[in-house]
Amino acid sequence: MPAKVLAILVLAFVAGFALASCGGAEGEVTETTQTQTTTETDTERTPTTTEEEPTVVRVTVTGGAPDGGIARETVDKGDRVVLVVSSDVADEVHLHGYDISRDVPAGGTVRIQFTANVPGRFEVELEERGIQVADLTVEP
Amino acid sequence: MTPLAHGIGGFRDLPVPESFFFATAAVVLVVSFIALGALWSRPLLESHAGGRALPRGFQAVLLSRVLRIVIQATSAALFVLVFAAALFGTTVEIENLAPTFVYVVFWLGLPLLSVTLGDVWRVLSPWRAIADATVWLLELGGREARPLLAASERLGRYPAAAALFAFVALELAHPRPSYPRTLAVAIALYSYWALAGMAVYGRDAWTRGGEGFAVAFGLLARMAPFAVREGRIVVRWPLTGLGGAEKVRGTLVFVGVMLGSTSFDGFSRTSVWQDLIADVRARLVDESLRVSDLAVTAVNLVGLAAFVAAVTVTYLVAVAVARRLVRAPRSLVPDFVLSLVPIAFAYLVAHYFSLFVIYGQYALALASDPFGRGWDLFGTAGNVPNISLLAPNTVWYVQVASLVVGHVAGLAVAHDRAVALFERRGDALRSQYPMLALMVLYTVGGLWLLSRG
Repeated sequence: MPAKVLAILVLAFVAGFALASCGGAEGEVTETTQTQTTTETDTERTPTTTEEEPTVVRVTVTGGAPDGGIARETVDKGDRVVLVVSSDVADEVHLHGYDISRDVPAGGTVRIQFTANVPGRFEVELEERGIQVADLTVEP
Repeated sequence: MTPLAHGIGGFRDLPVPESFFFATAAVVLVVSFIALGALWSRPLLESHAGGRALPRGFQAVLLSRVLRIVIQATSAALFVLVFAAALFGTTVEIENLAPTFVYVVFWLGLPLLSVTLGDVWRVLSPWRAIADATVWLLELGGREARPLLAASERLGRYPAAAALFAFVALELAHPRPSYPRTLAVAIALYSYWALAGMAVYGRDAWTRGGEGFAVAFGLLARMAPFAVREGRIVVRWPLTGLGGAEKVRGTLVFVGVMLGSTSFDGFSRTSVWQDLIADVRARLVDESLRVSDLAVTAVNLVGLAAFVAAVTVTYLVAVAVARRLVRAPRSLVPDFVLSLVPIAFAYLVAHYFSLFVIYGQYALALASDPFGRGWDLFGTAGNVPNISLLAPNTVWYVQVASLVVGHVAGLAVAHDRAVALFERRGDALRSQYPMLALMVLYTVGGLWLLSRG
């Protein structure tokens, strides 16, 4: 008997949990559109050659996923970094930790420029989709 | 909108450098072998668990009905506030109190409180408070409040393990665990689970076996230097509450969920797992986001379950080997399971210490503006978190120190059980070889996860 009651409790819980899992995506997401993107460089890295030249991290997003996988870059503390994200879907590009966000329109490009003065590993995400596109390591 | 991916985070510690890794692993090995020979030969923990009662004055105040009611009412009010923020507050995660409260203040703060002060969740649990109030009202109306069913021994802690797994699945497998509305649904569901279970099986029985957080914090609290025994608060040596065998069924799986989920969280942030997830996304680029989300959730769930299973199975293997070595007449599974509790806590500290310190600061600002409506109730809304508060070095030292201390504590608990169990010192020692190997595996494994980029 107790097992039966528990089974009912569990079922209700599981059903609800599944609901919770779907609930998040509701109403905030538009279907992904397939725009043809020019197949140029996936992620182009420009090493810091001179003091003034910033490290450029370039990401092209197609259908919500970064071309060629997550872009990874390691810089030293104090370096200047420019993050260039081109996306075929509208979303918000968010650099965690430094907490810099920029909206990107469908087919548009955003640039986030900053000085990497905090060491750590930082994810760059398409906020609304919760998809990671880049991973920046700042060495102390 | 996910500043708090992985439950929370999005920025992580730098990997522990190789030199730290090897130095710590070496220390762990040496300490382990020394411990084998040098530790006490008669059981100490269980006999010291009684501790000493605090002075009468403290008892009267700390255990008073008034204090309990005040704390429970505050906790219930806070619960309503967090739930309301999740339900009605802004959907910008970092500006809503609920995600930071649930994943940082609650889920990281309470283990810390439990290990230092004892089983505080008994009075802090809002669900317990609501249940207590309901019973009180029923009795006031002259009705008797009794559980519908007798607690079942057979179920043990399995329901609690399932509940905790559901929570860590939301935190670690869901693509947007911090989205406030998702969190609102999850809070509603968990509340249903906690309250319905208490109504069916009784408050105490469900607290012991069904309410996942109560079981987790309760197990951690057994490491604490304070406890309530026979209606009195006692002060005692840390870890003494972990002496003796733990016969309640499902305890191993429960601890497996605790340890497995923390280690999966570490693993899921390595480039291996990140790339796997990105690859799944890339393959499903032509599908709708919902399909790709479901696939990512499924892959994460498999990974999470695999880590829980790995912890459980390696323990079972170690214990089976120990049994053969000493030709024990019965299974030793219940005897050493509590020695994993300090390791589970060490994992929590190592993985989440920096997150707690950094994101805990957000709570200060959010307290003034829980719904993200631009309020400033306490004048702290403008408080900007200092994300460079912890130097990478500090974080690494805390991480390796907590793993080593957890390892030694686990060894001590297992050793104490072994000398209590076996009359011959040779048997006690032999039973500890596989346990030692297991703990070295867990500790070095945990360390390895921290050293991966």
